[in-house]
Amino acid sequence: MTSLTAVVAKDLRLAWRNRAAWLSAMAFSTIAVLTYSFAFDLATGDVRPLLPGVLWTTFLFAGVFAAGQSFQEEVDDGTFDALLFSPVGATTIFLGKLTANLIALLIIECSQLVLATILFDVGLLTPELLGIVVIGTVGYVSLTTLLATMGGHVRGRSVLLPVLSLPLLVPLLIGAVRATGASLGLEAGTAPWMLLLLVFAIWSTLAAVLLFPIAAEQ
Amino acid sequence: MSTLLLRVYDWRWSVLPPVTGIAMMAMIVGALVAAPREIIEGEVQRLMYLHVPSAVIMYLAFSVTAFASVMFLWKRDIRWDALARGAAVVGVFLCGMALATGAIWGKPIWGVYWTWDARLTATLVLFLIYSAYLLARSVAGPLDEQAARYTAIFAIIGVADIPIIQMSVRWWRTLHPQPIVFQPTPALPTEMLAVLALGFIAIAALAAWLIVLQTETERAAQRTSALRAEIDHREIA
Repeated sequence: MTSLTAVVAKDLRLAWRNRAAWLSAMAFSTIAVLTYSFAFDLATGDVRPLLPGVLWTTFLFAGVFAAGQSFQEEVDDGTFDALLFSPVGATTIFLGKLTANLIALLIIECSQLVLATILFDVGLLTPELLGIVVIGTVGYVSLTTLLATMGGHVRGRSVLLPVLSLPLLVPLLIGAVRATGASLGLEAGTAPWMLLLLVFAIWSTLAAVLLFPIAAEQ
Repeated sequence: MSTLLLRVYDWRWSVLPPVTGIAMMAMIVGALVAAPREIIEGEVQRLMYLHVPSAVIMYLAFSVTAFASVMFLWKRDIRWDALARGAAVVGVFLCGMALATGAIWGKPIWGVYWTWDARLTATLVLFLIYSAYLLARSVAGPLDEQAARYTAIFAIIGVADIPIIQMSVRWWRTLHPQPIVFQPTPALPTEMLAVLALGFIAIAALAAWLIVLQTETERAAQRTSALRAEIDHREIA
């Protein structure tokens, strides 16, 4: 437990020092929301049918973008290899990175929810919606963090990461968009979307935790 | 056990090409001539003899990829990586075939080439996942152990994701014809069932042959790159 807190503290400190990367992820998602609002003309009429899709594609792209950055610094400096030689388990290292990514992404997502609330005049900061955002983020951040461990030597990594992760995240995207729509009062059918989100979050976290030691092995 | 398997594998050149050729011919003749014309859908229904076997055997090919990926992570033998890649190439090819024949059938029957139906969407996502797998594997060299490990992990996650994708898109929307073959009493006339069975044999033989060819090509690439590395090494020494 103490090693986990130490690793989480290290990763949060790294994220803070590397805040240019996270700020660019936040700037990217802000620009994305604005671009969508121009493209779909969200200023007029009822935005609720489009808003869940706009928010979740923004979150996913920002998440993939940020996950790609999260290991880069450490791989470049060689500290990631050093960490693997330390007497801390690979699972702990992964959980530390996961927690730091999760916290940073949740901050970005909440800022986007506030922005969208102001821009589109729709109440987005409800407990239900925040719950959906947290579960959905846990679901995708573990997979993107695992896939981001692809060594720095793989060419075209920044392009490959979204190509690899987005098809795997299709169930999450469908579930999250539907659940968000339902929380905004849209017709979402009878399917238990929250259950799908939960199943996906648990599945992806388990798969990532189990497979990370193999991925990180030198 | 393994010697028996190796002896069976030695027959590949004398068995697989003729079996594939004969079964493909029989399937084409069966589908175009022997099978009766479907009353409602007409001639276009004959695509089913190619479409259904491609879709089913595609899953088998992807299962081979997943199995070989697990074996690679377990045994750390690069030959399993060649098999995983070989099967994935064939799986993506069959997946494309199922999508294409489905689209050609869809235009006259549904009025559109493509619809966002659950099964179509799931198949397309599968196509994207394994295309991404092949893309990611191909950017690294044939002997790159680390890249082989990452893509093996990706292939396993991809296979494990299939049930969740199926469930999510089925909840999303569904329109695809319901299964009529795989049930206790198939709702197809005997002639049609016989031709469909031929189709399964033909596509299975074709897939097996292509997987063997593709895997041996990957193996040859691995050996070439090992030789090249050794030559470089000796030149430096």
